[in-house]
Amino acid sequence: PAAFPRPAGPGGEAQVGPPPAYSHYNCKPEFVRMTSYAVPNSQALKARWHLPYGAVVHPLAELAGPVAVANPSGGPIIRCKRCRTYMNPFMQWMDGGRRYSCNVCSMVNEVPVEYFCTLDAAGRRIDQAERPELCSGSVEYIAPAEYMVRAPMPPTYVFVIDVSFAAAASGMLGAVCATIKESLDLLPGDERTQVAFITFDNTLHFYNLKSTLSVPQQMVVAEIDDPFVPLPDDLLVNLRESRAVVDALLDSLPQSYGRASQVESAMGPALQAAFLVMNHIGGKLLLFQAAAPSLGIGRIKARDNPALYGTDREYSLRTPDDPFYKRFSAEASRFQICVDVFAFGSAYMDLPSLGALPKYTGGQLYYYPGFAAERDGGKLHAELRRNLSRETAWEAVMRIRCSKGLRVSAFFGHFFIRSTDLLALPACDADKSFSVEITHEETLLSGQVAYLQAALLYTNSSGERRIRVHTIAMPVVSELIDLYKTADAGATVALMGKHAVERSFSSKLDDVRSALQQRLVASLREYRMLHMRGTPGGMGAGLSPNALVLPERLKSMPLLTLGLTKTAALRGTGRDVNSDERTAVGHTLMAGSVYNALRTVYPDCYPVYELAGNWGNEGADGRVELPATVPAGLEYFNPAGAYLIDNGRTLILWLGQALPPPFYQQAFGLQGPPQDASGLNPEPVRQGSELSARINAVLGRLRGHKELWQECWTIRQGTPMEAHVMPFLVEDRQAAAGSMG
Amino acid sequence: MAEFAELEEIDGVRMTWNVWPHSRLEAAKCVVPFCTLYTPAKQTSQLQVVEYDPVPCKTCGSVLNPYAAVDFHAKIWTCPFCHTRNHFPPHYAGISEASVPAELFPQYCTIEYAMPRMGPTAPPSFVFVLDTTVAEDELLAAKTAVQQALTMVPENAQVGLVTFGTHVHVHEIGFTECPRAYVFRGSKDYSAAQVQEQLGLHSQAAQRRAGPASPLKAGPAPGGLAPRPGNRFVLPLSECEFMVTKTLDELQRDAFPAVAASRPARALGTAVQVAAAMMGGCLPTGSGAARLILLVGGACTEGGGKVVDKELTEPIRSHKDLAKDAAPYYRKAKKFYDAIAAQLVAQGHSMDLFACSLDQVGLSEMKACIEHTGGYVVQTDTFTNPIFKDSLRRLFTPAGEEGYLGLNSNATFEVHCSKDIKVAGVLGPASALEKKSPLVSEQVVGVGGTTAWKLCTLSTNTTLAVVYDIVAQHGGGSDPTAQQFFIQFVTRYLHDSGVMRCRVTTITRRWVEGSNLGDLIQGFDQEAAAVLMGRVVSWKMEEEEDFDATRWLDRSLIRLCSRFGDYRKDDPDSFQLRPQLSYYPQFMFNFRRSQFIQVFGHSPDETAFARIQLNRELTGDSMLMIQPTLYSFSFNGPPEPVLLDVSSIAPDRILMLDAYFYVVVFHGSTIAQWRKAGYQDQAEHAAFKQLLQAPQDEAHAIISRRFPTPRFTDCDQNGSQARFLLAKLNPSATYNTSSAVSSEIIMTDDVSLQVFTDHLKKLAVQS
Ligand SMILES: [Zn+2]
Ligand SMILES: [Zn+2]
Repeated sequence: PAAFPRPAGPGGEAQVGPPPAYSHYNCKPEFVRMTSYAVPNSQALKARWHLPYGAVVHPLAELAGPVAVANPSGGPIIRCKRCRTYMNPFMQWMDGGRRYSCNVCSMVNEVPVEYFCTLDAAGRRIDQAERPELCSGSVEYIAPAEYMVRAPMPPTYVFVIDVSFAAAASGMLGAVCATIKESLDLLPGDERTQVAFITFDNTLHFYNLKSTLSVPQQMVVAEIDDPFVPLPDDLLVNLRESRAVVDALLDSLPQSYGRASQVESAMGPALQAAFLVMNHIGGKLLLFQAAAPSLGIGRIKARDNPALYGTDREYSLRTPDDPFYKRFSAEASRFQICVDVFAFGSAYMDLPSLGALPKYTGGQLYYYPGFAAERDGGKLHAELRRNLSRETAWEAVMRIRCSKGLRVSAFFGHFFIRSTDLLALPACDADKSFSVEITHEETLLSGQVAYLQAALLYTNSSGERRIRVHTIAMPVVSELIDLYKTADAGATVALMGKHAVERSFSSKLDDVRSALQQRLVASLREYRMLHMRGTPGGMGAGLSPNALVLPERLKSMPLLTLGLTKTAALRGTGRDVNSDERTAVGHTLMAGSVYNALRTVYPDCYPVYELAGNWGNEGADGRVELPATVPAGLEYFNPAGAYLIDNGRTLILWLGQALPPPFYQQAFGLQGPPQDASGLNPEPVRQGSELSARINAVLGRLRGHKELWQECWTIRQGTPMEAHVMPFLVEDRQAAAGSMG
Repeated sequence: MAEFAELEEIDGVRMTWNVWPHSRLEAAKCVVPFCTLYTPAKQTSQLQVVEYDPVPCKTCGSVLNPYAAVDFHAKIWTCPFCHTRNHFPPHYAGISEASVPAELFPQYCTIEYAMPRMGPTAPPSFVFVLDTTVAEDELLAAKTAVQQALTMVPENAQVGLVTFGTHVHVHEIGFTECPRAYVFRGSKDYSAAQVQEQLGLHSQAAQRRAGPASPLKAGPAPGGLAPRPGNRFVLPLSECEFMVTKTLDELQRDAFPAVAASRPARALGTAVQVAAAMMGGCLPTGSGAARLILLVGGACTEGGGKVVDKELTEPIRSHKDLAKDAAPYYRKAKKFYDAIAAQLVAQGHSMDLFACSLDQVGLSEMKACIEHTGGYVVQTDTFTNPIFKDSLRRLFTPAGEEGYLGLNSNATFEVHCSKDIKVAGVLGPASALEKKSPLVSEQVVGVGGTTAWKLCTLSTNTTLAVVYDIVAQHGGGSDPTAQQFFIQFVTRYLHDSGVMRCRVTTITRRWVEGSNLGDLIQGFDQEAAAVLMGRVVSWKMEEEEDFDATRWLDRSLIRLCSRFGDYRKDDPDSFQLRPQLSYYPQFMFNFRRSQFIQVFGHSPDETAFARIQLNRELTGDSMLMIQPTLYSFSFNGPPEPVLLDVSSIAPDRILMLDAYFYVVVFHGSTIAQWRKAGYQDQAEHAAFKQLLQAPQDEAHAIISRRFPTPRFTDCDQNGSQARFLLAKLNPSATYNTSSAVSSEIIMTDDVSLQVFTDHLKKLAVQS
């Protein structure tokens, strides 16, 4: 295995990143990543590219920086009359600037008088440099009234909080209320923001938050079979006007239900109630679910049954049980309601069912198994706070168009598909990505360049209707080798992961994993044959029949594919990973970024025990420098060392058996290793310890601005707890279920 | 008649006949049923209260009384009802001719036992059920009145709060973090169990259901005072005063928007249903007084008790609609409220209605909830009317203070009577308890089929008409000891003071040979007879389809006169009635013209209200409803009663009419002119001032002691308000009569008393 190149160590990032851009007008890879940045010119060629072909679109990515507005004063939005492609730098101008040919469908369009501009000698418009849409692959438009079916909605947050016994017992209720209260000032939308609160146990509780009240009035509806709204107004209120009442509510809730003994939880009815409260406007519905929903519609049965593994019914463990979930989600989507689920249960919660809520509404599933406030409060706090404070796009739709002859054949992510290719996104934010697979509709592509354009129409938190457009151009190629040369391993493995997770909803995991491997093997065999045939340059000369030949840009694919099969979403059987955990990881793979997918598939392992180098200090780019990673395998770990493992969901500080006591002194303020390391917390910076400061700086950088906030667990080598690390040490044989060794 | 009223003072009993024919056949010929009108909680100065338990007959359960034959030597008493010889209980061992317990004293034929042994009871409970679909100022007035009432409830009293509009809110006043209410869908029909389950009272209700809860045991169920887990809705005021006040302070009008030009969604029926079930779940049956106090500003337009559509173009049902069966919601709503009434009775709780609305609120449909539970109805036009506030206040007026109503509760009323008498039923605010007894008659009048009844509320005026059936075979009864018959009333109730009481009244009257009409007439109480006929007719009008009340009354009157009048056959001029009967035709004449019979000029709600009052009030007050009294005030002498006739109107007279439901002071035209000229303000006309003031004082004295408060009209001859007086006067002078004896004529086609009487004579003497 040592022969495999790894996406680790110096240059690891380059191995899995995108190639240089084909056109400098292309949108940044933070917004759109292709599995390969060349387009096969024929179906036949595409057929020999055994890896997935498609794009990961991240329409509101933060890291790419701001996007210029094309029509700040509300000028015209120029689109191809036939295919509705937005004006972009790749349109061909003709007739002295009076007409242009669409780069996507070749239609020749008249230029509207108000948009007319003369061309220079090279055939470019002379105003090209002043117009963002002509010189940048990413642009925003301020949309006029015809892009609205109603006045732009205000940011709307409806908090639906389980207050049954488990909510108080775990400390979830207190932590959630405190975080919401603290985040109220961060909610986008200024004076327009609206909020509502619904709590529930075996009954539903509504709150009259009318601004003139001194304290909120609670209304209990016990009619869970047929919930109704007890008040026509004043449940969903303007946050600024009712701020005092909202604060009072958040202060009193943990007390009111602090001694709750009601164990039943009528979640389905609570969702229906929230729907009734907000369906006239839409917005975000944040569900905080303390334990498995036990009452009313959508109640959960204990159906997680590992015995189903290997049978034809295995997939059902990973799909919603009760049709309520899909039905409700579809309805929510129709009314512009996005559902985020925060699940806190210590026992089976049926996330495969609950997960359908965010899945079809553009939401997110957060999972805190066995939540305990004193331990996990920080994670909840950071994640909820990020959810509430990040810029959010409301009542959005997204469409991805590609050049004539190409077609989007599959979508992955959290959305509801409306009219075959329109993604309905009640809400969208910087942390969400959407992926597509692209197929050839025609045997041969005619042009030299092919294009992909993603357009997101949304309402921003200030109440502006906007369209964000990302465009990318790619050469059409006739040689397979050109696809390899422009391949993007990160995007490829991300798309493979999405594909595999999707497949796991209808197939056995065994089949999913072997399909992944077959795909990889087929791809490598194809590449090898390319060499055997002796391509120009004689790359194939002198190869032994069994030697592994890897394309340069995809050389980490074998390891990444292996890692993919070892993620909690896909590995093992019911006894290795429970359905809730599987679902949670599957969700992040499905809707997360390429960066995050890479961490999930192959963790970064940072040595953090030697002060040599500049790691943990600010580097030249102003960011904290990270130590060079080591391969994710125990055999590469120094037993006298300490390693920080970043798997995208958590951080694990692995402490070698022979780690000298000074490390404990510096990092934890302890004389030496304790019996049980699980309680060790490296987080507070120990006074006078540079090591501690640097470890904390690294933790801070790794956590960054991400959807999930990674808790840091400390585990000592050789203790039973170490079993929790093993699945992430992808290279280790013992963790291998279907390892390719 | 005076002698009967004197007897009433002692025992609270009036009888239609005070001498009974010992024959079923002869009894049937008496036309007016044999009946006692009994006021069980009548406040009398001579009432003897003893602090021990009554001694029952081991066979029939009647209580030891002055009519028992006592063998002091053998320490044995013989029951006058069933003739069983009973041993006195051991603690009576010391009795002798010289030492007799109070209940054997002849003057204590009415005696009351205070029974502290029956144990402690729960404090009284008041659940306010408040309409929020009224205008802002109306709601404020209603809220203020409730808050003032709260300052008057006894210290230990428990209160609850339910509000309603489109939906029904049960306020959890035991929750202190913030105001909290359980909300029930206004349009939904809830079973009591559903309500209790939704309120989290389920297990409690189940627990109580399992316990012994015989309705005849008036005392609290064992553990009645034990803490009731789950009850956060009806709590001692001391524990929830802050929350109740806060909730009322912040109570808003129903927020659901009403469509323009239509009635608001008012889930009144569901509110009552939910409140009743909530009370059932929170308050142990029979342990204390509990009242559901319903404050409404309009008719139910939503849910089970709906009486009218929201569209204003749909008027609320009238008597005409009811007669034509054209009131689409009437029967359904009545059935709905009847079921709630049954539930309230089972729980021993009363419902009071404060209807503060210009339009009807559906009392006609809700009548059972009030009547069967002994609750009160107060009708005014708005919550801002002082009558509303004052009436609400009177519900809480403590004993001994002005306005006190004496709301005893949880009463059971039992009747015992001698052989040959059976009990046909009760007309009054009572519900049947399933008590099978050989005394139950096959014939049923009113609430029958039993000899025991339940009264959720028992006020000092509550008067029950017990109707009897004489089953003696003709020519039987030669036994000289059977010359007397006995009736005993045993009323167990929870006294205002929180102690269980048992009042026992034993009366005796004389049997006569049935054909001895002279003796029978001697015992005829024409007032009692009129009141009873009033109750019977009201009952029949509601019970019997197409019942022709006028015709039935006329035929009864003719038969009575024909039987008991003195005349020569076919000679109307020879017809005469003895004094004991002489006013009776006039009573019937006025009753026929009253709102009880002539319903079409009134709304169904007004009729329902009038019937509720007639069916419960004292004989004297009921007489006012049937035939008002008219007093004249003039310079010619002290005030005097005058004929209820248009001829009583004179320019220099002030008349005061007391028609029970309203009181009118009517100034003759000259008096009115003087008053307008302001003579009363001049020192030299002090006498005129006094004359004006006297009827006003009299009227207000009446108004202040009567509950519900009557309407007061101050009017002048020829003024528009004068119609309230004229409607009640005998139209001896109408536009049809040529010779006007008085200065006034009445625009009516009604026959005058004279015409009526002439007609009666003619028919009575026909062979
Ligand atoms: Zn086009
Ligand atoms: Zn007896």
